[in-house]
Order: sequence, then C-alpha cells, then structure tokens
Amino acid sequence: MFAGLFGKRDILQGLTLLGIGAALGVSIMSLTSGNAGWGTAYISMIQFDQYAQAFTVITLISVLLLIGMSGWSFRSLQSSLGDHYALILFSLCGALCMFSFTNLVMLFIGIEILSIPLYVLAGSRRDDLSSNEAALKYFLMGSFATGILLFGMTLVYGSTGSFNTAAIGEAVSRGVASSGMLKAGVLLLMIGLCFKVSAVPFHFWAPDVYQGSPNTVTAFMATAVKTAGFAAFYRLFSTCFTSINEFWSVGLAAIAALTMIVANFTAIFQNDFKRMMAYSSISHAGYLLMAVLVAGQPGSAGAILLYAFTYSVATICAFSAYIIVAEPSGDGSFSAFNGLSKKQPLVALVMALSMLSLAGIPPLAGFFGKYFLFTAVMKQYPWLVVIAVINSAVSIYYYLKVIIAMYFSKEESTSEVALPSIIRWVMVAGVILIALLTILPGNVFGLI
Amino acid sequence: MSFLLIIVPLIASAILLLARPAGVRQLALAVGVANLAIALFAAYSSVYDGSFNHEMSRDWVAQAGIKFSVGMDGISLLMVLLTNLLAPIIILSSQSRELDNEPRYYGLVLLMISALNGVFLATDGMLFYIFYELALIPIYFICAIWGGENRIRVTLKFFIYTFVGSLFMLVSLLFLYLKTPETHSFAWSALANVELTQSESIWVMLGFFFAFAVKMPIFPFHTWQPDTYVTAPTGGTMLLSGIMLKMGVYGAIRWMLPLAPEAWHTLVPYFMALAVIGIVYASIIAVKQTDLKRLIAYSSIAHVGLIAAGVLAWNKMGVQGSMIQMLNHGINVVGLFFIVDLIERRLDTRTLSQMGGIAKVAPRFAVLFMIIMLGAVAVPLTNGFPGEFMLLNGVWQYNNWLGAIAGLTIIFGAVYMLRAYGMAMFGPTNEHTAGFADLDTRETAVLGIIAALVILLGFFPNIALHITDASVNKIISAVQL
Repeated sequence: MFAGLFGKRDILQGLTLLGIGAALGVSIMSLTSGNAGWGTAYISMIQFDQYAQAFTVITLISVLLLIGMSGWSFRSLQSSLGDHYALILFSLCGALCMFSFTNLVMLFIGIEILSIPLYVLAGSRRDDLSSNEAALKYFLMGSFATGILLFGMTLVYGSTGSFNTAAIGEAVSRGVASSGMLKAGVLLLMIGLCFKVSAVPFHFWAPDVYQGSPNTVTAFMATAVKTAGFAAFYRLFSTCFTSINEFWSVGLAAIAALTMIVANFTAIFQNDFKRMMAYSSISHAGYLLMAVLVAGQPGSAGAILLYAFTYSVATICAFSAYIIVAEPSGDGSFSAFNGLSKKQPLVALVMALSMLSLAGIPPLAGFFGKYFLFTAVMKQYPWLVVIAVINSAVSIYYYLKVIIAMYFSKEESTSEVALPSIIRWVMVAGVILIALLTILPGNVFGLI
Repeated sequence: MSFLLIIVPLIASAILLLARPAGVRQLALAVGVANLAIALFAAYSSVYDGSFNHEMSRDWVAQAGIKFSVGMDGISLLMVLLTNLLAPIIILSSQSRELDNEPRYYGLVLLMISALNGVFLATDGMLFYIFYELALIPIYFICAIWGGENRIRVTLKFFIYTFVGSLFMLVSLLFLYLKTPETHSFAWSALANVELTQSESIWVMLGFFFAFAVKMPIFPFHTWQPDTYVTAPTGGTMLLSGIMLKMGVYGAIRWMLPLAPEAWHTLVPYFMALAVIGIVYASIIAVKQTDLKRLIAYSSIAHVGLIAAGVLAWNKMGVQGSMIQMLNHGINVVGLFFIVDLIERRLDTRTLSQMGGIAKVAPRFAVLFMIIMLGAVAVPLTNGFPGEFMLLNGVWQYNNWLGAIAGLTIIFGAVYMLRAYGMAMFGPTNEHTAGFADLDTRETAVLGIIAALVILLGFFPNIALHITDASVNKIISAVQL
C-alpha cells in the first residue's frame, strides 16, 4: 500500500501530501464501509481490523497537518529535504505496523521502523550541539528500551510457545500464567513500552530530546509516535494479558499516577515553551496509561483513540504557532508570546484554543477526550480518576501562562511575527478539526 | 425557543470575534434586545403549572449519554428573563467607555450571555456542566484583558478557584451517572432517581457544594471575589455579580439538593452556618470600606449569603424568596456598579472620602441613585423588601436563631449603604465634585430603566412570584428529605 510512495519520494512536499492524502482516503473508505480492510497480510502477521484502521486514520490526519507545517519549517534545508520526508514516511510506516500487528515479531519490527528514522531526524540539525545531543540520547535510550522489550518478548515466547498474539492470549488465560518466566516477560515488555511512551520514571530522556530536536520532528514525536506507542501498548495488553491483569495493573496504575504528578508539577516551573510542551506530553502519557490499565473493557479503546486524536491535533496546532513565533527570533520562552494577540490575532486564537483543549476545558475537544477516559476508568480505579482530575487542574496553570502572555501582557516582544500562508492553512484545518471534535466527539469514539 | 436563546448570541459572538464587522456596538445591542424579546415571548407563551415549556432534546454524544436537552420551567424562566433583561443593560452601559478592541469585548460578552442561557436552560446534567464551564472562559478573558491593576494575578486566582470547584461537581455528576440504570443517562429525572446511601450522598453533595459555594461565593470560599470584582471592567463586574453568581444559587436549587437530598439533614446545618457567618462577616467588612466598588462587592457577598441560606432551608418561603431576590439583587447590583463606574469616570476615584456634595450639582443622578440604593437596602415598596422578608421568614422557619442573626443584614445593609450615599452625595462639594456633570442620555436611560424596575417590582412582586410559584412547589415536593 505505502511502498508505492517510497519509490517516488521527490523533493516535493506536495507529493508527500498527496500520497498521505490518498492513503487517508483509502483508509477512511475502508473504515466507513465496515469491511475488514485489507484483511491480513504477511502470513497473518498483520491484521488491519477496525482498531488498526481507526488509528491509521487519525495518525494520517496528524501527519498530514505536520507535513503541511513542515513546508515552512524545512525551508532552509536544501539537499536533505527529500530525506526528511522519506524518513518521516518510513517512520509512519512503522507506526502502521504497530497499529496492526498480530505477532510479536511484527511489533518489534514496527517499533524499529518507527524509531530508527527518528534517531536520524532528531539529529538532523547537524551543526547544532543540542540536536546532536538529542539524537545520541534518544538513540541510546531507545536501543536500551528495545533490548528490554526484546528480552521480554523472548521470555513470553519461552513460556507460551508462540509469537502470535491471539495464541499468547489463549495460552495465558489457560493458566501458564503462574510461571515466573511469563511474569518476568510481561514486566519487561511493560517497562520497555513505558520507555517508548516516556512514562515516569522512564522519562528522563524525553525533555532533552524534545527540546533538542528540530520543531517539526518534536511535534511528530509528541503526536504520531506517541499515538503509535500507545496503540501498540493497548493492543498488546488487551489481546494477550487481560487475564492476568491483577498481576501487572497495580504497577501500571502506580506508573500512571506518578507520570501525571511528576510531569505536571515539573511543567509548572518551565519557562521555555518547548520544554513545557515536553512535560505536558509526558503528563498526557500518564492519562493515556489509565486507558491501558482497563484494556479490554468496553469503551477503553475508543477513549484512547479519541484522547490521542484530540491531543495530537491540539499539539500540532500549538507547535505550528510556536514555530512561526520562535524560529525567526530564536527565542522560545513564554515572553516571546507577549502581545501576540495584537500582532497576529489568528495565531493567538489558535494557540489559545489548543492550550484550552489540552487543559481539557469544556466544551473543547480535549474535555471529551478526558471525559471518555475518566468514565472508562472510574469503575475500577476511582482513586486514579481523582488524581487525574487534580492533575488537570494543576495543568491549567501552565497552559494559561501562554494565554496570559499572548492576551494580557502589557509589554510586547519586539520581534515581528509573519504568518506564512501554508501555516495559515494548517491552522485553519486544525481549528476546524478541533471544532468538529468538539461537536461530534462520539463519532470518533465510536469508530472502534 | 430555548435553543434560539442560546444560539442567537453564540452566532453573533462568532461573527464579532472572527469577522470584526463595523457597527459593533449597535450589533451587540440589537442582539441583546432581540434576545430579550425572545425571552419575553417565551415567558408569554409558557404555561405556569410547574412543567417544562419549550423543550428540545437531541442526542449530542450518544456514546456518553449526553443529550442536548433544554427546556424551561418557572425557575429557569425567571433566570432566563433576568439574564436577557440585564444583557442589553450591560451592553448599553459598557458603551459609556471607549474600550480597545471592541469587537472582541462585545463578542465575549455575547458568548457569555449564550453560555449563561445554556446553564439556566439545560435539563441534562453534563450539558449543564459544559455550559457552566463555558461561561468561565469569556468572563476570564474580559476581566483579564480589560481589567485594572493586578488583573493577571487576580483573574488567575479566580479562574483556578472556580475551575477546581467545578471539577468536584464533575466527579459528582460522573458518579451519579454511573449509578443510573443501563444505558446510563444524564437527564435530570434519571439523576434525581438514583438512590444513594447516606455516605455516598454526602460526597456527592459536597462535590456540588464546592462548585456552587465558590461561584456564589459563600464564606470561606469568597476570597477571590472582592479582588476580582474590583479589578474587572464594569461590564465584567456586572456580569459576574448580576448573573454569574446566580448560576451557583440556581445550581443548588436545581441540581445539588434534588440530586443528593439524603445528605440534607447531615450537611445543611454546616452550610447554613457558613452562609450566615458570611452574611455578618461581609456586612461588617462592608461598613469599614472606603472604596465604593469594594463596598458593593462585600455587600454582594452578604446578600448572596442570605439568598443561599433561603435555598438551603428548603421550604416554600425560603426558595421563593431566593428566586425573587436573585432577580432583584441582579437588577440592583448592576445599577450600583453602573453608578460606581459613572462616578469613577467623572472623578477618577472611587474613594468615598474624596466625594461629597454631588447631590447639589447632579440632582437627577441623586434621585436615581437614591431609588436604587433604597432597593438594595430593602426599604418597603422597593423590590428588595419582599425578597428579604420572605428569605428571613424562610430561614426563621428553619431555625429561629439563624433567622435572627441573618436579620442583622437589614440593619448592616442600611448602615453601609446610607453611609456611602451620604458621604458621596451630601455635604459640601470639593474641588473634584464641584464640576460633576449630571447624567447624559445613555446614563439616564440605563439608570431610569433600573429605577423603574426597582419600583415596579417593589409594588408588584407577584409578577415574579407568579412565574416561579408552581415550579417551586413541584421541586420542593419532589425532593424527599
């Protein structure tokens, strides 16, 4: 399906947009027609079921916006422009494998296809020290996590005798569960995936990597990559390990709570927008982990889908505003946003909407993401919902900082802010998406 | 009809915020008046037997049981009338000042009106919550963009305070929702039918109470209020005090007590004590104020404390009294804040000691100020009197001692209002006040309408009482204490 694209990746952003648009069209068509999509492929190692298709659609939409945004952000690249798009598309291809795997090997391959281009992308500003640092950190941490993951897979294979997720799930529920080897395997898988989605206490790489990478790449990591990580996490645990969830859920609940608390309280003290967004992205990982906790329960898959979508759209909108404010001036602190509402009302409006949506203020899209998540978790983990609610109250504080700078601050930052037309279109599309998700959140939730 | 009340200002605000057309002031005013006309027509075509009129219900987020269902019984209708009556007055009075970026200001005001109508009309719990929160966003921007000194710190406190309060309400709502029979529903009747154990109902009621107590505000949740009222631009203060605090009282009548009545015996004595403490505490502070705007802010805490006490007593007299007192307090307080703004525009100060003798130079202003002030003091034959009388009667029925202490509000009210009026209007003129210009046409119109309402509702309180009578009976009898 996507192989055709990689053949003719030219230096044209338009072609990439077209390709993703076509892929999106096909995905939406097969999703709405309700058949099993392309069914299974690669000796049943991939299955494009409803779940995979729905995640494919939302990720393609996110990447579509990102590519649109990148046109301006990558303008200074000359020879390597084509490589950038190619790498993003490779990575996207890995994400699609992670949505649809039915085999642990495929999951592993997917994660690798996703990650390796990212290591390169993170370091793509070769003459920038922080970019190099980001790439190295990301690579070391990523390969470390991959090792743990692989070891976990081996142990699971050893105890259940299969790489096929359905077979593993069956074996586990039949009672191989008691074996210590399986438990160790599940634990290692959990830790490896927590590394990938940057959950506390495995998050230390994330802020530096996010800050050091080029802006578009950071936005890509914070949205599409995170979505892929969670989709895989959820898919793996809901098919394989629901029958032994009392074993792993306590630990995961603690990780979720810790992730929310640590990330939110660290984000309060940030003065740099991008670093704040990095911690905000970690805290959102905490909310999403709550849905993995109740994997398999009705409503949890839809909740994770809607949450990931609303979060991605808002984050991309925020980054597209950040790029045009911060890149020309080189100043990414909150004070760079001072007085933006007078200079560029549209940009300020988009940024304000994204921040309010990320904070989960009703009736914006983010609120419904949180709402479905909380109702899915409420029955089994009411205490976790209370922690999450308190955390969303805390998060308002740092999201409002941006709004305060844009709208209420009397002093104005001196730099000029221009709004290129391509970014304007991305923003308009983003706002329309937020509006649609506000009015019809149930339609996305109901996709799975 | 109900839907129109929400959608008309919403569309108008979108036009103002995005398209920024010319003739902003006229457009905003026209929308306000149009909405008032719709509300009056809805009142005219309603049946006052306690049932819901002009109902509408559509699925919104079917998977989550959220319906867009609106409708108005007498209680909602009175609040809607108050909102849409004050809306044009607030818009008109804002026009006395030049504001920067007027499309944005009036757009936000209209968005606020839309959300407030939604709060009073929603018959679905989650819809109520969503409108309740939606109302917070425009008022936060209004106060923080056009406010006075310290506005960023003050409004941030206001925002976080009220947002956190209502998150507790969200948890309560979700808890009740999950207790409704399968396929769950947020409809008022479904939520009210949930049987709770004693301890569950205490938690549910506390969740609602935090949200509403912050909004009203009730002592000791009031600390955001004086600063915010003083810092906000006059239009924002009017919206906050005239309409927004009624969201809290209305929420208590419609949602808090009917949804968790089992906790009434356990919790209400404490809430009642807080309300009465708030009345006395705020009155005493009001007496000591030198800043006129801050004085009215504190008097508002005292008044709303009495209204809350009437609701909590949950007898016919108390709830009816709170209904008409919400109407009257809304009218009076908007008038008073307009007067503060008017004086501040002319004298550049709100400090009482720098005023004096204004009555001599501005007789028309003196008369209208006097009428509105007497309404706030609750002198017989002004609108404040029947409301306070019924409220005190209701609290007295609940507990004689509390009734007696709450009655102090009348004495204190007379003390601080008459003191303020005397210091501002009587005595010799000074160099500031000698050149005090009397009212212009727009100001006369605003204050004239308010003064006329003060007298009209003072003579004929039955106009308002009739609207709510059957609905109050119904909701009180529906709640098994």
